[in-house]
Amino acid sequence: MATEIAASPPPPDTGDTRAAAPRRTSPLLKRLWRNYVFVKVRKAFVVVFVVANVTFFLGRAMPGDPIDVMAGRLTQGGMSMDEARAIAIHSLAYDPDAPLLRQWWEFIVGLFTLDLGDTINRPGFSVTDAIGAYLPWTLFSIGVGTLIAIAVGLAFGMIMAYRRNQVLDHVLSVLASVLGAIPNYLIAMVLVVGGGMYLGWFNPIELRGTLSPGVRPGFSLTFIGDAFYHAALPVFTYVLAIIGTWMLVMKASTTEVLGEDYVTVARARGLRDGRIATAYVGRNAVLPLVAQIAISFGTLVGGAIFVEQVLVYKGVGGLLLDAVNYRDYPLLQGLLIIITSCVVIANLVADLLYSRLDPRIRK
Amino acid sequence: MNDLPAAPDTDNGALLSVRGVDVGYRTGRRTHVTAVRDISFDLHPGQSMALVGESGCGKTTLGLGLLRLLPRTGVVPRGQILFRRKDGTRVDVRTLEREKLRRFRWNEAAMVFQGAMNAFNPVLRIEEHFLDTFRAHERAGRRRPRKEILERSAQLLETVRLDPARVLKSFPHELSGGMRQRSLIALALALEPQLLILDEPTTALDILTQRSIVERLAELREELRFSMVFITHDLGLAAELADRVGTMYAGRLIETGTTRDIFYRSRHPYTSALINSVPPVVGDLHVPESLPGGPPSLNALPPGCSFEPRCAHAQEVCASERPVLQVLRRRDAGLSHTAACFRCTDAELHAEGASRD
Repeated sequence: MATEIAASPPPPDTGDTRAAAPRRTSPLLKRLWRNYVFVKVRKAFVVVFVVANVTFFLGRAMPGDPIDVMAGRLTQGGMSMDEARAIAIHSLAYDPDAPLLRQWWEFIVGLFTLDLGDTINRPGFSVTDAIGAYLPWTLFSIGVGTLIAIAVGLAFGMIMAYRRNQVLDHVLSVLASVLGAIPNYLIAMVLVVGGGMYLGWFNPIELRGTLSPGVRPGFSLTFIGDAFYHAALPVFTYVLAIIGTWMLVMKASTTEVLGEDYVTVARARGLRDGRIATAYVGRNAVLPLVAQIAISFGTLVGGAIFVEQVLVYKGVGGLLLDAVNYRDYPLLQGLLIIITSCVVIANLVADLLYSRLDPRIRK
Repeated sequence: MNDLPAAPDTDNGALLSVRGVDVGYRTGRRTHVTAVRDISFDLHPGQSMALVGESGCGKTTLGLGLLRLLPRTGVVPRGQILFRRKDGTRVDVRTLEREKLRRFRWNEAAMVFQGAMNAFNPVLRIEEHFLDTFRAHERAGRRRPRKEILERSAQLLETVRLDPARVLKSFPHELSGGMRQRSLIALALALEPQLLILDEPTTALDILTQRSIVERLAELREELRFSMVFITHDLGLAAELADRVGTMYAGRLIETGTTRDIFYRSRHPYTSALINSVPPVVGDLHVPESLPGGPPSLNALPPGCSFEPRCAHAQEVCASERPVLQVLRRRDAGLSHTAACFRCTDAELHAEGASRD
């Protein structure tokens, strides 16, 4: 992606203004169309649109529809199949006889008018409302977790590279590899069972949910404190889940940069160690990792479904599970579109950040 | 260890006195390879000394070792690197403690590196490299204003014939190889060091750029009177920029002398072979002789002369005993002609060379 721009030859020794002149006359619209940021945004929209379509058809490709699922439940209570279906059709906002193409058209029209429709299983609740009630908690816990993991992971990675092949490096490497190999939901279980039940460091029952009973959202210290208190376990889980990878990747990247000529030259120039570590080693070592911030974030959103179940954190994970189980098509589509958008936006931010940080990419 | 005249570290007025220096690398938990052995020389103020030899002879390792810039695995286990600082005091660079070493570097001795392509941090503008360098060597509490530093940097860039307005604001990737190398030379001169170590400063550049950089360097040395240690494969360059030459082979200095000594009266067969492998620009065109083989592995040096396996004039003694540097013509200021060869005074071997002078 970004390398296309980097490949353009460096400007010649003498500023040849004549060669640059014709490019300046190109129409404004054309220049806007080719603008780096605009190109990235355009691509992001295409990705979201494709994913939206895939989720539409994938959802409907699952066996059974919302009516079947509800009728199935009702028949377990002893109701006859026909009766159950009739009740299901009556109580759910879904018409099983509508042709697929019409459903798709309505979906696409809704998409472009930013209307994700109503949920099927919670009549009267729009998809936007449902997502709005749960998604912020997931994004909050994952965002905080990613930030902590990256900050700590980068610092540890650099320390490991500076002390490579020493005891500290060996210990941290083993730790990082082990952490990287454990699935995140297992980390969550170990935290609850080990820290909460055996060691008694915290009360896992009290930590459940996103807020303590009685705490109202608002700009108050009680609310913010309580939000962090309840998010502590998921955040800690996410940190442990990805910090190992960040440590190892940063170590590799730093080790490579430490071998670069400009680091030796910086030492020869008598620069202070702190300045070399930050502006010369750190900055160049972080560059190739910026794109991975988004990948980390995306992985975590996927893993959140399990973690939130284990920790009984009321995030988007439970909602997604419900949407799949009850074949709540609009909710499922809405959730996947929003989640995809979040990851795509994270990617976009990482891309733009990268182009700001690396002058060789900048245009 | 050797027969050099000024063995004790008496102050003989030299800027740099290297005494019995070894430089090695750790290759494993307990293994160790000595890449440079028992180097001694004096460099007097204003002198320019070229170090020549094939790749892998330890020239770069020696250059880095003099400033203790070796990679993490590198060590200088033995010897003295005595340097006379601007204030007249002498220090042993080998044992200088951390902060003093940091202040010593660039301020007293700067280094221009092989392949300056990557000498600049790709995410910083050239002006930031100058700022960093000046700021790192400021006395505590005496912060020079940014504007003053940039004006000085612009002057420095002008001395290497670059357009400061354009170069200072550029990122390294926006400059050509020659411009980067010039910028590095300007940066090296920033703190007016007494010694400049140049490690193949023109290797990756085209012939015209090489030419102009070499000429400018020679002029600057006239003006600013710094000393140089010049590491090169290019014997022509050595002949032009240096007033003395040291030949290195398998980590040792095997012949030293003035440029004239080395080019017209070389007494070590290796130096002669190096010279004969390059076609002369003036005079009769002889067929360049190649020297078969390569330098020996540093792990398994032959017991005698390191060059013996490749030497056309080797005798029995060469394989069993190691020759030490012997003085052939004694001169002051480290300019003596010395060679480490058992046959360096052998008349029949050098009859032709002597007549050429």
